[in-house]
Amino acid sequence: MKRRSLLVVIGAISVMALVASACSNDSSSTGGSTDSASAGAVDCSTAPGCVTVAAGEPIQIGTLLSITGDTKNLGLDSQYGATLALDYLDGTFDGTQGQVAGHDVTMVNEDDGCSADGGQKGATTLAANPQIVGVIGTSCSSASLGVADKILGEKGIVTISPSATNPALTTEGTHQPYYFRTAHNDRIQAAVVSDFALQKLSATTGATIHDESPYTQGLTDGFKANFEAGGGQITSEDAIGSADKDFKSLLTRIAQNAPSVIYAPDFNPACALIAKQKATTSGLENTTLLGSDGCSDATYTDIAGPAADGVYLSGPDLTAFSGGDFYKSEFVPAYVDQYGSQPLSVFHAHAFDAMNILVNAIEATAVTNDDGSLTINRVALRDAVQNTTDYQGVIGTLTCTPAGDCATSVTIGVYKVPDVGFLDPAAKPVFTETKTLDQVK
Amino acid sequence: MARLLIRTAAWTGAIAGLVIVYLAMVGMIERLDTLPIIGTVGMDTILIFVPAAVGGWVVTRPRVVAGERRTATPGAGVALGAAEGLAAGAVVELGVVLVSAMGIETVRQVFSAVSPSLIEILRFHMASVPAALVLLVATTVVGALGGLLSALPRSVRGPVATGAAAILVVALLRQVIAPAFDQMKIERDWLYSPITLGLTWIGGLVMFVLAAATVRLRVGHRLATILVPSRYPSAAPPEPEGLTAEADGEGPPAEGRDAFGAGISRRGIAIIAWCVIAVIVGVLPYLVGPVVSRILGTVGIFLLLGLGLNIVVGFAGLLDLGYVAFFAVGAYFTAILTGGQRVTFTGYEAPTFGLHLSFYVALPIVVAVAAFVGLVIGAPVLRLRGDYLAIVTLGFGEIARVIFGSTWAQNLFGGSLGMSSITAAELPGVNVNFQSDPRHFYFLVLVFCLLAVFVSWRLQGSRVGRAWNAMREDEQVADAMGISTTRFKLLAFAMGGAIGSIGGALFAVSLGSLTIASFQILVSITALSVIILGGLGSIPGVVVGALVLIGLPGLLTQFADYRLLIYGAVLIAIMLLRPQGLVPNVRVSRELREDERSQDQWAKHLLEQDAVDAPEPTGGALT
Amino acid sequence: MSNEEGEVQAEVASDQRLGRFERLPVRRIVLTLLTVTIVVAVGGGIFKTLTLTGVDHLGWTFWANLLVIGLALGSVYALIALGYTLVYGILRMINFAHGEIFMAGAFGSFFFAAAYAKSGFLNAHPWLALAILFLVAMGVSTGIAVLLERVAYRPLRNAPRLVPLITAIGASLFLQNSFQGFFGSQTRGYPRPSLLDGTIKLGRVSFDKIDPVVIATAIVVMIGLQFFVKRTKTGKAMRAVAQDREIASLMGIDVDRVVVTTFVLGGMLAGIAGVLYALTFGQVGATMGFLPGIAAFTAAVLGGIGSVPGAAIGGLILGVAESVGPYLLLSGINVPSPFELKGVITFSILVLVLIFRPGGILGTGEAEKV
Repeated sequence: MKRRSLLVVIGAISVMALVASACSNDSSSTGGSTDSASAGAVDCSTAPGCVTVAAGEPIQIGTLLSITGDTKNLGLDSQYGATLALDYLDGTFDGTQGQVAGHDVTMVNEDDGCSADGGQKGATTLAANPQIVGVIGTSCSSASLGVADKILGEKGIVTISPSATNPALTTEGTHQPYYFRTAHNDRIQAAVVSDFALQKLSATTGATIHDESPYTQGLTDGFKANFEAGGGQITSEDAIGSADKDFKSLLTRIAQNAPSVIYAPDFNPACALIAKQKATTSGLENTTLLGSDGCSDATYTDIAGPAADGVYLSGPDLTAFSGGDFYKSEFVPAYVDQYGSQPLSVFHAHAFDAMNILVNAIEATAVTNDDGSLTINRVALRDAVQNTTDYQGVIGTLTCTPAGDCATSVTIGVYKVPDVGFLDPAAKPVFTETKTLDQVK
Repeated sequence: MARLLIRTAAWTGAIAGLVIVYLAMVGMIERLDTLPIIGTVGMDTILIFVPAAVGGWVVTRPRVVAGERRTATPGAGVALGAAEGLAAGAVVELGVVLVSAMGIETVRQVFSAVSPSLIEILRFHMASVPAALVLLVATTVVGALGGLLSALPRSVRGPVATGAAAILVVALLRQVIAPAFDQMKIERDWLYSPITLGLTWIGGLVMFVLAAATVRLRVGHRLATILVPSRYPSAAPPEPEGLTAEADGEGPPAEGRDAFGAGISRRGIAIIAWCVIAVIVGVLPYLVGPVVSRILGTVGIFLLLGLGLNIVVGFAGLLDLGYVAFFAVGAYFTAILTGGQRVTFTGYEAPTFGLHLSFYVALPIVVAVAAFVGLVIGAPVLRLRGDYLAIVTLGFGEIARVIFGSTWAQNLFGGSLGMSSITAAELPGVNVNFQSDPRHFYFLVLVFCLLAVFVSWRLQGSRVGRAWNAMREDEQVADAMGISTTRFKLLAFAMGGAIGSIGGALFAVSLGSLTIASFQILVSITALSVIILGGLGSIPGVVVGALVLIGLPGLLTQFADYRLLIYGAVLIAIMLLRPQGLVPNVRVSRELREDERSQDQWAKHLLEQDAVDAPEPTGGALT
Repeated sequence: MSNEEGEVQAEVASDQRLGRFERLPVRRIVLTLLTVTIVVAVGGGIFKTLTLTGVDHLGWTFWANLLVIGLALGSVYALIALGYTLVYGILRMINFAHGEIFMAGAFGSFFFAAAYAKSGFLNAHPWLALAILFLVAMGVSTGIAVLLERVAYRPLRNAPRLVPLITAIGASLFLQNSFQGFFGSQTRGYPRPSLLDGTIKLGRVSFDKIDPVVIATAIVVMIGLQFFVKRTKTGKAMRAVAQDREIASLMGIDVDRVVVTTFVLGGMLAGIAGVLYALTFGQVGATMGFLPGIAAFTAAVLGGIGSVPGAAIGGLILGVAESVGPYLLLSGINVPSPFELKGVITFSILVLVLIFRPGGILGTGEAEKV
């Protein structure tokens, strides 16, 4: 017995020794992992160095989107949008990709699992590939915040998210320097919904319902801040489990205060069930239900049916896209043509723009060497993305700030069910407002 | 007799065919179309033909007729297998024809996985009539091969089957093996084709021969005798099972055999062999790279969970379905004790109670808290057993999840917005980052896993371990023997909780931020699956279980959508075929294989108890 | 061998040395403390809630509404719990996959319901359509239950109890994910005939038209089941098998057949519950069975697993606890968002009941005698 434990101890010590030696090896080799030999005119000596793409080899761009599980529509939608951006590099949606700086582009698709551990998994995989120039992702804020943004940032990989909207991602102090997004900051959406409730609905009291995902609580907290600043009163803030089905007791409790509005920016099926059960709760006849883009997919009307008519859902105003005609007459048809369905979610255009911003920055910073290879300095690439000014994207005019928000001025529309964008891209919002980040709390 | 056999073959074939149809309808065949295995053969093709081959194998297994064991001749094996394969192919073809007749789009409205491309795959991208012929001929051949293999003597059958499995495993584990080759600067284009990314035919052949030789020469068994001489005395034990043989097959076989000849003491050889293993474990992350290291880190976290749960379920026999509670306690308390910030709408804010301790100071506190939680959970449920305990612990897991994510505790644990900027467990004076470099994290986890293995192992043989054993086998008897079941049950909950919380603490360190989504009941079920697969009460079993159930899904990302499906199937299959697990604990497996007699005694005991307790003496269990 | 015996004796001796601590009635002290704490906390919470004044005051209509909501939900739980209890009573095995059998029934009938809604048949002949939906759901659920029994449970009938329980957990995962693969992961809207759409108002208490249907069905099914088990020949055979499988088979009872009958009954109950659940919440999905399954399992244990009226009572208590509990206990003490803590309340009730009545409310005494 004793000898065996001795063995274990010896084993443990030898392993520890290995750790120490391995660690010391590693610290000397960081920064050298990216190729700096054939850099030519580009200075690659400072970390995080450069990416070199050999002649005839494709440029690799990663995606880190939620492409499996419950939220896969969100991620696939963005992935399709990003792919379509590459398709359109040559000026047409024809299923063949254009080139960037004389090179083809391949996408390396990873799953963010819409969770912190999923984000870590995907980001580690992408970060381990020294050829990854930039990443489109993540789909969910929880996959980014302090996880993927950090892992990719430490490797100097520019990351542009099409749909992660949590304010903390671009708040001074928590923002990671290589992180950008074309998604609207929740602060704007929450402020617009609050304005809508206060101005258009003349609401004085409101209740909020969020679920256990950070996204929904970000919106309800933002709504509360703006609503109270505008003179409204929040009567209750409730939380639900996303798998809950019976909200009747919660709604009955809310009905006791008979608030003017209920803001429930949750996901389906909870979102639809709240709409359905709210319609039959006595005491809520004069209360208006509000939701946001988490509710916005075909499941919503499928489950809630006519009970949802009259509910207001906020989301990006598709009709206000500056590329409006292009969006309606070229982009969506190409999407439908290539993927066989109407857009699965609302962030495909954001992904399209994100990919274009990344590609433009690559075009601007990539240096072609004599042997036809391409050298991209990571710091320069980051600076180029950050210097994106007045880029005319599909979703609007984009200008990236040092804190990472590229959609600084966003038009959010509020749709009245059943005339909603996810059912009919031509649907007109009943309320639309453009806000800049400086204007909101 | 012959007719009976043919009928059995047809039935087995029909079942194999239904399995193939199931795999198609659940979407697996189409989804794995792009996963290359060998040459131009993809995983989809493997999925179509493996059930037919397995069916052929099963049909030809020796059967006992009138007390006499009958083995099929190779000729009969081929015939039976072919009949089985034909039946399987016919069922699949029937499905294809049916779907085509009803219209793919019509069927698709119900079965969403039935798509034109699926039908294309099942028709091998050919016109319908030649495709049907190819399918039937191919399944017949494959079934016949399965039957033939099964009828061959064991010395041929084992190596061939293992070789075939090795091709699949090596092809699927490209993500681990390829970087390791690169790291060691070994050419690997002969093994993995740079174009298809699957195995080349030559590489496949080499792997087949290697694996077959490993089994034929009983390398695994030889290695086992070297590594654990005390367990394998001189008499030749039975041939080890395929899986253990393979797991052990990584070491250097030739060296072991030479050493035998040289006449060094067996213990000396064992020490050398263990050192070789230690070195491999030590350099592993630098061989396989950060991606696989991260997966190994996750394996380590679940290994800790498994080891902890193993104490509760495996040693003490208390079924705990709410183990995630300890995982959450470990993670969240590490967060608040090491300066983690709660995420708010406007950025980060300090929790109402938070300390900025070093991870190594915080960990003992976290472990103590978890042990205390174990006592709190354990105390009220001491008298409950089995099924009641299962539901109550499940409830505790749910309570933990709800509370950690609740608005009520939001100022402390961040609510649904979660926690962030949790310590990276920096070591003063050493340049390591456990958060951003998964290779470093691997070593952190490894140290704690070794520690937990050591603790479990010492506990198992100790007085406490034997008391748990007695308690698990028969609580009344244990009590009558003077073992304080109260104390030992509480000790099991506390110890199990403590080890599990280390897993949670490391999880928090590795991610740096937490949201409540990571603490679903699924964690409990996964941890339970890990110890069940490995073998209840078996420490090496937990290691194997964690590697298989956490490591493989991490590597086989193409299977991500089917991970839980496969978990479920594995749980059922293990319970039906090998309830003692892959690496059984001798003592527990004896209990799990309990024969009918002792089960009857158990039932009788229950009835006596009912008779005493029941208000109406005539009332049965169903009232 | 003698060495081991010696150690065991030493163990006994050491326990005797520690005796003084051991002899302290730790458990009793803990339990008493627990009881006092709970009584104070619960009583205080309820008192404070009921004495809330002003805008926070919660009147009797509020509680009456919550009670009705709870009874409706509890009836669905009771229906599912009956299936759990039946199988447990016969086999002493927890069919953890029962929630998935319930889901399968609901999902199976969904495709018919959707087609009927599209063709207008659902509203033209609601009773006929509903009858067909129930039959389909019962058929699908029964089919899966019997298949499960044949493939996964029968070979393990004599295994220790942990083995079939784990198999059942595996079956639950397997079925849930198979359905997700077959029919897609999105939730689908389940149409409701207009006959059952809308609300009924009785004074100031209002409820959905479907709610009384659910409650009535639960009562009828429970009485029917009780009659079946107590009075019919098959029911008597079932009770005999529950008492002693071996003796029953010696007495000429076909045990396999009785077990299959049990699973058929359980499946039919699950099918009925599935359609009612789908009609109540208007949606089906592959994951819909998991949480109600756990809730029903809790209800069955709460009422005393193995007891038919126990399952019904457990279900109702659980439903009411879920709807009324959080508000009654927590509103008064300023806990934010009581709704999300309903799981804490229901499981606490379960733990408490089991502490004081380890066999459940109508269970046969203690789960284990010491």
